[in-house]
Amino acid sequence: MNSSKWEELKRWLIEQEAIDEDTSSADYISRLDLSCRSLEKLPESFGLLTNLVALNLSTNKLHFLPESCTGLLKLSNLDIRRNMFETMPSIISFLPIRSINASGNRLKDLSALKKCKELRVLDLSANGLSRVENFLPINNELRTLNLSLNLIKNIDSFIENLRGVERLNLSSNVIESITKNVCSLKSIEELDLSNNLIKSIDSAFFDLEVEIVDLSANVLQTLVLHSLESLDKLTLDGNEFESLKIEKNFAPYLREFSCDSCNLEEFLLPSSESIELLCYSSNKITSISKEVGQYTKLLQLDIDGNEIQELPDTLANLAYLQTFYAKGNPLNEHAKKVIEVLSPDICDLNMKSGIVIELAKSEDLKEMANLLSVLFAIETDFSFDFEKQLSGITKLFESEGSNMLVAKYESEVIGMITMQRLISSAEGDYIGQMEDLVVKEEYRKMGVGSRLINKMRSIAQEYGYKRIQLAADVDNSNALQFYNRRGFNKSHLNIYHYIV
Amino acid sequence: MKDMQEILDMEICECAEKNVSQVIETFQNTSLPFKKAKKLVTECNKSCCRAILIKVFNMKDFGRYDYDEIAYAIQQRLERLKKLSEGE
Repeated sequence: MNSSKWEELKRWLIEQEAIDEDTSSADYISRLDLSCRSLEKLPESFGLLTNLVALNLSTNKLHFLPESCTGLLKLSNLDIRRNMFETMPSIISFLPIRSINASGNRLKDLSALKKCKELRVLDLSANGLSRVENFLPINNELRTLNLSLNLIKNIDSFIENLRGVERLNLSSNVIESITKNVCSLKSIEELDLSNNLIKSIDSAFFDLEVEIVDLSANVLQTLVLHSLESLDKLTLDGNEFESLKIEKNFAPYLREFSCDSCNLEEFLLPSSESIELLCYSSNKITSISKEVGQYTKLLQLDIDGNEIQELPDTLANLAYLQTFYAKGNPLNEHAKKVIEVLSPDICDLNMKSGIVIELAKSEDLKEMANLLSVLFAIETDFSFDFEKQLSGITKLFESEGSNMLVAKYESEVIGMITMQRLISSAEGDYIGQMEDLVVKEEYRKMGVGSRLINKMRSIAQEYGYKRIQLAADVDNSNALQFYNRRGFNKSHLNIYHYIV
Repeated sequence: MKDMQEILDMEICECAEKNVSQVIETFQNTSLPFKKAKKLVTECNKSCCRAILIKVFNMKDFGRYDYDEIAYAIQQRLERLKKLSEGE
């Protein structure tokens, strides 16, 4: 290796804070993050990084990559999103690239992709592409293709070479029809066609072995659903149908079916016995057939914003129903009784509007201290003592680097959360320690806890905290599930305490 | 690059004339799923700004807002609308 060229490249990489001084050879560099640096070009010596596997060049001002990059013989993952490329860099034809993210450029010429036989994942979204011809080799390994947010009108000109593609995102284009050529998608599993101008769908579409289809926000007016034997989930939201029909042989294993804002007057009944989610919100439906009781696996039913007065008694048979949205309907007393018997975990009719999340004030402290009794009743490590809790809450309120939020309904404190600033030697910076998340029993399952945690997370982001952590009682399975669902990962650390 | 306040003031939804800051506030103040939270913002059943709203909604769930990404998505959408109106 030319050592003066390496020294020059090393200096440049150190200036970009991409490597540190200790890096003694280009051979040790397998991953580089050069994103968000306003780079207009890369040094000619960049090709010295022959062991580079992943290169992130996103959010720069690059138009091209230097010829020497043909030397990046192990490069497998290239991220050039949000740059100014008009031509797909020709060097990719010579490299074993498996994943390219070229979203948010101004690509017009995709010809370099013709030689990328090993490519598995390709993102060409938000490039203003309008005419796209066959841009892949006939025998390609592509599995995931994102062409969303372009101006593509016709997919026939390139669909032929997408035989192996499993996930195809064509949302937010200007596609007007799905033609018979869609049958080329032999391996398709997920197909996103939302936000287009689709008026017609060829019958070949119904023979696909696709599992997830999103056709929402198109201009479909007439559709007869049939076949699609492998279909698991279909979304048709936002199409103003004049006629939507379902045939008996449609999607026998369908689990999720959504027709939000589809101008429907009838509650359609897919024949699948596996249905877990049905959404017919914001339509003109006046009644629900008693056959709805056949969906014994139904977990979520959404009929809000219709013209339904009566609910069938069979609805009460849906033993697994967890979530039921029914607001915005002129429901009669019998219908309300049915919901009462049904008693779903989450029901918008039981939700209270007017719950606000705000920073705690001094006059809230007593109510907050009282609220902790709910929490301490679950946590076996602690017992409730109002005076101690009030003292703690007051000290927290007065201490710098602490934040306290309350949820209030009609001026009453119904929930709370606190966060204290800590310094983490592991992170080398401030982190937040969250505690005391509690919501009064009668206000649970209304999303109050989520709102408290969301607000606190955004406060942590404003402060630039590197991490948020919390402790939860191991016996409080509801709390553990709640944190898991909100992206908190269980750490391997156990908490010990010692009474001083 | 735009500063934070400029981004917060950028309009996302023309139908309801809501800016980034109002959208974030609305999403934070509800635990409803996206479809319903979207209607709280747009006050309509249209889907003009759906793609960006999904992005912001997912950021809420993820727990961190990427304001540059939001600004970029809004600009992209405006450019796309311009191109569509020019008949490209």
